[in-house]
Amino acid sequence: MNKERPILLAPLDPVHDIGLKIMKRAMDEAGYQTILLPPDYQAEEIIKVALENNVAAILISRTLGYGVAELLARFADLTEAAGLREKVKLAIGGMCIRPELAQELGYDAGFGPGTKPEEVLAFLEGVEYQPDSNANTKEKVAIADGFSYTYKNKRIEKLLDAIVDAILAWAQHKTSPAIKRAQIREKLLKLPVGADRSVLLQEYLKWCDPKVKDFYEKGTMPPKTRPLTSEELARLDSYVSETQKRMTVQKLQHSKTKPVVFIQYGTGCPFMDIAHIKTGEAWGADGVVHFDPSWGARTEGFLEGYLTHEEDGSIITPENLMRIKGSLCEHTLWQVRAHRGLNSPETVLLAGAMGADLTKINIAYGSLGAGTDPARLTVDAIQAIRYAVQYNLPFDVVTNEELCGVPAHKAFAGMLITAHLGRRLGGKPILQPLFCYSPEVMVSGDMSDNYIDFNAAKIMALRNIVDAPIWPGAPIGFLTQTEDRVQSSVTTALHGALASSLGVEAISIASSDEAYSGGPISAPSRIDTLRALKEAFRFFGQAGIKPTEKAEVLAERIEKGIEEVLEKVAAKGDFVGALYDGLLGSVAEGAYPGRAGRGSLLEE
Amino acid sequence: MEDCFKKILDAVDIETYFACKDEAEGRALALNLLEKFGLKDIDIVFIQFTGPGARVRARGYVYRPGDHYGWLEGVMANE
Repeated sequence: MNKERPILLAPLDPVHDIGLKIMKRAMDEAGYQTILLPPDYQAEEIIKVALENNVAAILISRTLGYGVAELLARFADLTEAAGLREKVKLAIGGMCIRPELAQELGYDAGFGPGTKPEEVLAFLEGVEYQPDSNANTKEKVAIADGFSYTYKNKRIEKLLDAIVDAILAWAQHKTSPAIKRAQIREKLLKLPVGADRSVLLQEYLKWCDPKVKDFYEKGTMPPKTRPLTSEELARLDSYVSETQKRMTVQKLQHSKTKPVVFIQYGTGCPFMDIAHIKTGEAWGADGVVHFDPSWGARTEGFLEGYLTHEEDGSIITPENLMRIKGSLCEHTLWQVRAHRGLNSPETVLLAGAMGADLTKINIAYGSLGAGTDPARLTVDAIQAIRYAVQYNLPFDVVTNEELCGVPAHKAFAGMLITAHLGRRLGGKPILQPLFCYSPEVMVSGDMSDNYIDFNAAKIMALRNIVDAPIWPGAPIGFLTQTEDRVQSSVTTALHGALASSLGVEAISIASSDEAYSGGPISAPSRIDTLRALKEAFRFFGQAGIKPTEKAEVLAERIEKGIEEVLEKVAAKGDFVGALYDGLLGSVAEGAYPGRAGRGSLLEE
Repeated sequence: MEDCFKKILDAVDIETYFACKDEAEGRALALNLLEKFGLKDIDIVFIQFTGPGARVRARGYVYRPGDHYGWLEGVMANE
C-alpha cells in the first residue's frame, strides 16, 4: 500500500480505543502515517475526517452489543454514500468481531480478539498473513539434566547408602519371570524382520500367565478387547498425517521455561489416545504419559498386536507403543510407566526400544499401593532400572501411596530409597512428590487454611535433602478436583502456578474430568485444563506464590520424618522386610503389601 | 413433565470438540448441532481451532430479554 495516504483509526465506540492504539503503534513503526480519533465520534464525523485527509484505509473498532451490528452496517453504507468505498480499505476490529461478520456488514476485513498487529499490516499491504513459522516450534526438554544428586543432608545420604547396599546384596542372585521374559524380549527385538519367532515365543510363554498363553496359542482375547483391523490402521495413518500437516502447537509457559507440562492418556484405545495426544499437543502439552490397564500390571506377560479395549488404560504391546510413538510431535516427551506391576523390566525395555523419553519406577508405591509383592517388585525394579540406564531413560519415582493414606514423609523415604538405588545403578531418577489434598492432611488439618504450604513444604524438604529434579504429579491437585469443569480447571491451574512459582522441572496435570468416574475422559476436558494452566502462567509470569511461615515448619517436619523412617529401615537391614512390616507405610495407614507375584522369585 | 425448553431460563450452551479441518468447519458443525436440537436463535460463543480440531461453545437462546418466558408463565399457570 502507498504509505503517502494516511490510515484513519477510529473507535466507533463511546469508550474503548486500546486495540486501535496498539495497532497505531505497529503502523507507525511500519512507516505509515496514522490518524487516531478519540472515542465517541459519530459516524458522520469520522467520514468527514476521512474525506478531508484522503485516507487510504479506515480501521474501525467497536465492542459488540445491542444494536451495534446495525450501527456498523450503517457506517459501511455511509462510506459508500460519501464515495469513499472504492478508494479506501475498510476494516473493523474488536471483541466478538470475526471475518464473516465483517463481510456480512460490508467491510473488507474483520479482526477479532488475539489479532496480531502483523495481521492488520498484511491486510493494509494486501498480502496474505503468514504466521511466524518459528512461533509454534518447541524443543524437547531434558528435564533430568543438570542435577548433581549431591546430598545436602549427609545423614540421609549415609542411611540411603546402607539401605541400597543391603538391597543389592539381597537381590544379587535373584531373578523373576518378568526378568526372564525381558531377556527373551531383548532377543525378539533383535530378530530381523520376517525371521522365525516361534522358538523364542514358546520360551517367552513359559513365563506367562495362562490367559496370555491362550491369547498366543488359541487367539483368545481378554474381555472387552479386540484387534484393530488393517483398514482401521490405514485410516489412522491418514488421520495422523492430515492432522500433522495442519498442526500448530501452543506454548503454555509464558515468561518462564519451567515447568514442562505432561498430560496422561490411556482411554483403552490407542486410536482415541492418539487423537487425545494430538489435541493435547496442539493445546500446549509438552509431554504425554502412557497409562496401561490395571489388569495388565497384574498379568505375567504382554500381548502383541494392535489391540483396543473398552476400559481404562491402554494395553501395552510393541505394536500399540510403536503406533503411538509414530503419532507424536518431535518435541513431545513420552513416558511409559513401569512402576507398579509384574512387567516392569519388559515395560522399560519396550519403552526404550520404542523411543520413549522417560519411564516411571517405584518399588515402595508399586508394592504398598498398587498390589505387587514387595520382594518381587524389588528384584524387578533393579532390572527395570538397568534397562532405563541402557536406554538413557530418566525415570520418575512417584509417591502415590500418599493417596492411600501413607504420610508424605514415609512415602518420601520410599521414594528416596528407589531414587538412590537408581543413582547407584547409573540412572537419572526424578523425584515425584504429589501435589494433593491427601488423607494425611485431611486428618491433620495441615491444609485447612490453604493448599500452598504443605505442597511447598514437600518441595522445600526434598531440596534440603538432595539436588535432584522434581516433577510433582500425578496429577497435581489430586483430590482437590470436583466434577465441575470450572472448579477442576481452576484448581489444576492454581496448583500449576504453585509448581511454576517453586521452579520445579515438570508437572503432570489432570483433565477437568479428573473427578468424574462415570466414563472415559473427554477431549474437551483436556483442553479445559491446558487453557486454564496457560492463563495461570500468563497471570503470574515471573511473579510467584508466597507460602506462609508454616511451610518452613512443615518442611522441617517432613525432612525429620524422612530421616526417622530411614533410620528404622537401615536398622532393620532389610528393605523388603521393612515394606512388609509397614515401616514405609502400614496397613493402618492404608498401605497393603501387594500379593501379585508373591513367591515367584527364582534363584539364579 | 413440562417441556424442558420452557424451563430453560435463557439459553442452552453446548460445548464440545470437533475433529475438523479448520475453524469454519468447526463453526458450521456446531451450528448444525444446535439446529439438530431444534434451536433457532443460535450463535458461537467461543471457538478455538488448532490442527486436530476445534473446541467450541455454541449457544442457542431459548428466551431473549423481553420474550414471554415459559418458566414464568408456568409459575403463573400453577398459581
